[in-house]
Amino acid sequence: MSTQKSGTEYDVHAAVGNGRGDGGIPHAQLLTDFAEAIASRDTERTAEIRQQVADQMGEEALIDAAATAASFHGYVRIADSTGLTGDMAGGGQIPEEFRQDMGINEFYRAANE
Amino acid sequence: MNEINYEKLPYAVRDDLVAAQNAAWGKIAAPGDWLDGQRRVNVAREVRQAFSCSLCAERKEALSPYAVDGTHDSATDLSSAEIDMIHRLATDPGRTSRKWVDDILAGGLSQEEYIEIVSIVCIVMVTDSFTRAVGAPDNPLPEPLTGGTAGYRSLAAQMHGTWLPYVEMADVAPEDGHLYDNPQEPPVVKALSLVPDAKRAFWNLADANYLPATEVFNLETDLRAINRMQMEVLAARVSSVHQCTY
Repeated sequence: MSTQKSGTEYDVHAAVGNGRGDGGIPHAQLLTDFAEAIASRDTERTAEIRQQVADQMGEEALIDAAATAASFHGYVRIADSTGLTGDMAGGGQIPEEFRQDMGINEFYRAANE
Repeated sequence: MNEINYEKLPYAVRDDLVAAQNAAWGKIAAPGDWLDGQRRVNVAREVRQAFSCSLCAERKEALSPYAVDGTHDSATDLSSAEIDMIHRLATDPGRTSRKWVDDILAGGLSQEEYIEIVSIVCIVMVTDSFTRAVGAPDNPLPEPLTGGTAGYRSLAAQMHGTWLPYVEMADVAPEDGHLYDNPQEPPVVKALSLVPDAKRAFWNLADANYLPATEVFNLETDLRAINRMQMEVLAARVSSVHQCTY
């Protein structure tokens, strides 16, 4: 499964967890690993990847990657505390096939409501 | 108030981001519309406490989090309903349910209090996740300020298919103040608007972390040092780890 933005095709499997690799997005795997380490509260792994992000992408990119990942720790909690559903995301334009393929339909709320 | 700064970090943090974090911390300390300053800071304290709570750890491992009874390891005198709400949202947000929210509201917590608590939980999670990501220690929580609550609930809020009412763009009342910057605001931006200040407190911080509303639909934005697809990769992974379906 891929998604098209600005005429360029990207593979987003790595981001959601069903694959590895950059999928055409520079440093995507590194950023995926960084996001996972932060969200999993794995301090040691976060420190290890933080250094790699700084070395490979630069310090400004590190700060913006950290800030972006941090912001979604709020967005998910707003969505999950107020009952926003998957069909409300992306302007309601996300195909069911995409959600199925990404494994989102196996998440607790999708499976239980 | 202890001011947030990252002077000891080996990396420079954007001034606008530090300012937004300080503003958000100041909002936590001040009386809100429905919670006074002490109660708001206690909410923030419970967010951090949740990650060392043995009941939360046990529930996190359980197939169904609602099958595990017990008492939370709490750090404040907030009500048991508030503590359960805060701990679950902090540690296991992907497994909330409509029944869980309905039970909290039926137990005496008002919709307005619920929204204000969600806003504080999210501010603390965003700020603490950032410090963890960059290798900084947790910022000390602010000292609560005294004063009365304003008691404002938007009269324009209505049900729109979610668990709680929110204000649609076309319905914003003058008394709500400025709520939206973008005619295409997604539901997640509107979800806290029942209490407009709670919405603004969170989103002013979130916009400085991610992108302001005016840039969100600009796929070619160069406002940050990573490109938009790189941001979406980070977003998708954080959402996936949290099992967020939105």
